[in-house]
Amino acid sequence: MRVLPLSLAVLLGTACGFPAFAHAFLKQANPAPGSRITSPPAAVLLTYTEGLEVPFCKVTVKSPSGIAVQTAKPQPVSGHADELSVPVHITAPGKYTVIWHAVSVDTHRTQGHFSFTVSP
Amino acid sequence: MDVTGWVLLRAFCRGLHLAGFFSAFGTMFLSATLLHKRGALRLRRLAWAGFAVACLGGAGWFLLQAADFAAAQSISDVIGALPIVAGQTRFGTLLLTRMGLLLLAMLLFQRGWPRSAALIAFGGVVAEAWLGHGGAMTGFVGTMLLFCAVLHIAAAAIWLGALPALYVALKRLPEDALLPLAQSFSPLGMACVGTLLVTAMFQFILLITYPQALFTTAYGAVALTKLVLFAALIALAVLNRFRFTPSLPASRPALLRNIGAEAVLGLAVLLAAGLILQLEPPAMADMAGM
Repeated sequence: MRVLPLSLAVLLGTACGFPAFAHAFLKQANPAPGSRITSPPAAVLLTYTEGLEVPFCKVTVKSPSGIAVQTAKPQPVSGHADELSVPVHITAPGKYTVIWHAVSVDTHRTQGHFSFTVSP
Repeated sequence: MDVTGWVLLRAFCRGLHLAGFFSAFGTMFLSATLLHKRGALRLRRLAWAGFAVACLGGAGWFLLQAADFAAAQSISDVIGALPIVAGQTRFGTLLLTRMGLLLLAMLLFQRGWPRSAALIAFGGVVAEAWLGHGGAMTGFVGTMLLFCAVLHIAAAAIWLGALPALYVALKRLPEDALLPLAQSFSPLGMACVGTLLVTAMFQFILLITYPQALFTTAYGAVALTKLVLFAALIALAVLNRFRFTPSLPASRPALLRNIGAEAVLGLAVLLAAGLILQLEPPAMADMAGM
């Protein structure tokens, strides 16, 4: 009879050690936030804490002069429901700003931004 | 209407959808189990009423959610978003599939096959969990939240969803059938309450994490409201079990009043559930802006 309470306690204790997110926030990106890269990427890859409703996600990548350099809408990444890819056309060095609006599959909207620098 | 107004309206529609869905399922469930040998008891109208409420709330939720997804500024924006929401989002496909399942269950129920109907409707009930936090998250926490949500929703649907049918049954059945029905519903209700308490505790740990958040955040305030309503529901259930059930059939009017009050409180709990699912859990508030 002591097995059930013990299992419950272990499960609770284990669960306490994990952070819960419950909205789609940026987990990682490539290029990474704040990074300095030598060659311009063909696409910006964003990975979130939750699965995404990609058709309603929006990403703008702005050049140092404020011009949008993304060439298409965010694309889903096959086999990764929590990722999206944005094709970009970057020809000049400088600091680029990524402004994202995400919609998670639990219907919540989130947004954020970060920058990376292209410096050959 | 400002953003808060739209969120409240969406929450109301979601809560209404849940209440209707639960009620339709609960009627089928009770008909298939405790009332199985009472075939003459016609509960079809009650089930159809639940179905109608589920459709109404679901349609409102679908439209408002589509508007939110598309950040719509006009009716044409919403109309343009509808096919994308219906065909290319988990929310849209799951909501429509769940309503399809409920319709199929209703048709089976109408034909006099309550067990098949209840089983199919149960699939639609628990599928709601995939529209919540657990369904969206990956890893251990996501799996755990999803598991908790499935159990939580199933227990709530069986207990709260069956209350309107229980009310009608206790009103219509002959006096000698009241005590067996009320007595057999008690253990079922207690099992559901136990499941709801345990799964709510896990959800508290994973989504709220610290007790102060109950008083300092909107999510916590709604969770606290749900908790108070839930405590009131348990108090009524205890009264039913230990005071009114033993003295049946003489206590039938009092028992019916109490079950009616339980159903109203249950509706309030589900409306609160619709609202809490629109809010940001305190556990992830620090992540905002990343």
